[in-house]
Amino acid sequence: MTSFLAGLRAEALILSRARAVGVALVALAAAALFALYAGATRVATQQEIVAAARADEAQRIDGLKKTLLTLESGAAQQEPPPYRDPRNAAFMGAGPAARVAALAPQPLALVAVGQSDLMSSAIKVTSGSKDAFLFADEIENPALLSSGATDLAFIVVLVYPLVILALAFNLLSGEREQGTLVMTLAAARRPGAALAGKLAARLVAPIAVMFLASALGVGLFAGWDALASTGFMRLAAVILVYGLFWAALAAAVDGLGQSSASNALTLVGAWVVLALLAPAAINSVAAYAYPAPSRIDMTLAARAAATDADKNRDAMLARYVEEHGSAPRGGPREGTLRRIATQEAAFERVEGVIAAHDAALGRQRALVDRLSYLSPTMLAYAALADVAGTGEARYRDFQDRLGAFHLDWRAFFLSRAKAGQAMTAQDYDSLPRFAADGEAEGGVTAALLGMGLPTLLLALFAWRGFRRVAP
Amino acid sequence: MSDLALSPAAASARAPGRFKVIRAVAAKEWLEMRRDRRLVALFAFAALLMLAALGFGAAENARLSRERAAAAEADRELWTSQGAKNPHAAAHFGQYAFKPESPLALADPGVDPYVGTAVWLEAHKQNEAQFRPARDGGTAARLGGLSLAFILQVIAPLVVLLTGFASFAGERESGALKQLLSLGARPGDLLAGKALALFGAAAALLAPAFICAFVAVALLADPSKLSLADQFLRLAVLTLGYGVYLAGFAFLALGVSALARDSRAALVALLAFWLVNAFVAPRLSADLARALAPTPSAQEFRAAIARDKAKTFGHDETHPAFVAFRDETLKKYGVSRVEDLPVSFRGLTLRRDDENGYAIYDKHFGALQAAFDRQDALRTAAGFVFPLLAMQPFSMALAGADSRAQFDFATAAEAHRRLIQNEVSDNIIHFQRDESYVAGPELWRRIAAFSYSSPKAGFALAGAREAIAGLLGWLALTAVFARVAVRRLRPL
Repeated sequence: MTSFLAGLRAEALILSRARAVGVALVALAAAALFALYAGATRVATQQEIVAAARADEAQRIDGLKKTLLTLESGAAQQEPPPYRDPRNAAFMGAGPAARVAALAPQPLALVAVGQSDLMSSAIKVTSGSKDAFLFADEIENPALLSSGATDLAFIVVLVYPLVILALAFNLLSGEREQGTLVMTLAAARRPGAALAGKLAARLVAPIAVMFLASALGVGLFAGWDALASTGFMRLAAVILVYGLFWAALAAAVDGLGQSSASNALTLVGAWVVLALLAPAAINSVAAYAYPAPSRIDMTLAARAAATDADKNRDAMLARYVEEHGSAPRGGPREGTLRRIATQEAAFERVEGVIAAHDAALGRQRALVDRLSYLSPTMLAYAALADVAGTGEARYRDFQDRLGAFHLDWRAFFLSRAKAGQAMTAQDYDSLPRFAADGEAEGGVTAALLGMGLPTLLLALFAWRGFRRVAP
Repeated sequence: MSDLALSPAAASARAPGRFKVIRAVAAKEWLEMRRDRRLVALFAFAALLMLAALGFGAAENARLSRERAAAAEADRELWTSQGAKNPHAAAHFGQYAFKPESPLALADPGVDPYVGTAVWLEAHKQNEAQFRPARDGGTAARLGGLSLAFILQVIAPLVVLLTGFASFAGERESGALKQLLSLGARPGDLLAGKALALFGAAAALLAPAFICAFVAVALLADPSKLSLADQFLRLAVLTLGYGVYLAGFAFLALGVSALARDSRAALVALLAFWLVNAFVAPRLSADLARALAPTPSAQEFRAAIARDKAKTFGHDETHPAFVAFRDETLKKYGVSRVEDLPVSFRGLTLRRDDENGYAIYDKHFGALQAAFDRQDALRTAAGFVFPLLAMQPFSMALAGADSRAQFDFATAAEAHRRLIQNEVSDNIIHFQRDESYVAGPELWRRIAAFSYSSPKAGFALAGAREAIAGLLGWLALTAVFARVAVRRLRPL
């Protein structure tokens, strides 16, 4: 232990005097803090979007209630057209009364953009088929979307490993080239432990800086309470294990006994392959093996349903009346029933196409998930998005809850429209609401194992290499 | 007399021509590169990656083209098979305009995954393109796919830097540089020779990729729908652009190598620059562009349009603008009742409503695209220092996959929507006599299907002016830097 500590202390002293090391560590901390600040700004914008959508919803429904009051009291000067009549359930559920299904940012949302810049955080659910509202996008310059934003996830998965590699690539080779290795080994009572101590000093510095900068940034920009959350513990675990993976890789390469230049090139090559090329290749292979089916199919299905319904409008209406009780022929009531019949036909077809689409996407993503164990970068990136609540799991959950809410919404309005019931003030007070979700669990265990096992193997390999050097 | 006394004085020896020196230096560098197995393996790996990227790109491009052509056909079938209905109901049923995939997107998909692939053309409303493919990609897809552009923009500069970082520094360490300089070799000639060899390496990197891209475009592009000559011109300009991009990295590597105290320091400095250029600058510049030229949220954008639309009458017959339009129309036709008009007043109101809408949409969508253009210009501004900021927009523009190309498509789609609206309103104006009026399939067939021709290379080049200036600035800056750096070389 003494040799270990002596090695650690000596190396820490050397590092503290190296200006380049100081610059690299300060740059890493500054990058992490800036990324978290940018993340906090982004989260504030998302919160504003959700708040604006909710305010718009409140204003719309309030307006409908006021118009309803005017109509019921007989104070209205003339009858509104059906699409503006708050009593008309078929039209109101399809737009004017639409509720917002919002996905509010999680406490650690500032950590990773994930899919939050592509998926809408506030969706106006209507009684139409999903194609009418599910794909409303937020406005964003596509060139900026394709660049991605600066977030902590980016700093952790791409920049942080390079700082670790820069510090750890030449512990043995550097000392060997300077001629100090023999002296170090000879001076220590337990040379292996002394080398391990020196290596630990080089590894602790970047990992500790990354952890402390993340904690400071999260505390400053998301509130100090967030540091006590399980989400932050998961974030810390990902930073630690991912950092250890790259450190173990650097130590393993250093243990091979090559020159510093050779180590540097090998490690940069490994970083390029594992952090850049492997994710790109995995995404391309998965997209080639299981191409995402066209979303256009879904829309065309809904439109085909509408034309078919148009073509057999009488047959559809007759069937509808048979299924839903008697209804007077002709007039606005028949028009409403026909519209509902068309909507239901479109709804069924769109649900079918969406289910098939999701199944195909599921196969593509399952392949990506399996292959991502080949790249710790992919595992860390997905884990950080899950910690932030901007990953796939939360969006899948949101889609599921959205589907259930859509059914409730349709049932609420269409049951009234089919029965010919006018919407009342009580109805407007008891509109179905989309429930907020709890804090995302964001399981990172699989990712930690996926990074941890290769780390252990590399550490074993490095240990063998270091032992060979010890006299 | 000894041989020594007879030999001519070194000072009076005829110096070889500068070009000969440059050629000799280039030949020696080139030979060393070819003999370095690690470098050969690196180039072979990069070439394989590029070919794999092209393969994936070609397969994806062909799939998307097939998919969109089939969708366009199916949508046309739906449109023409509408039964008898009022033309305005048909305008509400609408059509879809599908964005055709640019053939060169197989080399650079650009912003295509982040823009909508289809625009719904409906009555009264200009819609944004919907169905961004990236939405379906999941979190991992944000780490990128294997495209030729990615390899050329990110990996190829790394290969050039790794090839060139030791050019001067390595020779300084071995003592060869001192020897060369003391023999009278001019630093400028050494730079020219080494640069020539590195350019050759960059060309060797580019050649297989672009030859294969030419073949892929020739085989996959449909000459009946677009000009192959235009595609080849775009590819040729792209090749030049990537040549300039990589030549700048060659000069940078030589300059840093000449200045650095040893090859390790040169490598560290060059890798740091590569990292900033490839990963940090694009994200930071995107954040900066967002902050300096903000765009409205979707809700703000739609609310602003709705505010302007509320000033027009739409279907609201009680709106003061409607009453004014009715009175103006009655006066124009010299009648006192709507029923006495020789044409359908409903048709006239629909046409007027559409015309009001066109001006409103032009104003708002034009302002939005102008904001995107400002953001793009801000991002490209530092392209002469961090060349990826210039290379990306240049490459996307030439590949026909930038946001300007998307705007051109959206504008064409909107023009088609207006054509549909004008046709159906005219039909109502001239033929509708009462509420029960319906038109038949002959009207739906008469309204042409949406057909879009992508703009020519000149359009892409005009849009990429700032990026071209950035790339040329980058080459000039690095060339001057390398020249200044080698001037500091001294024999002693």
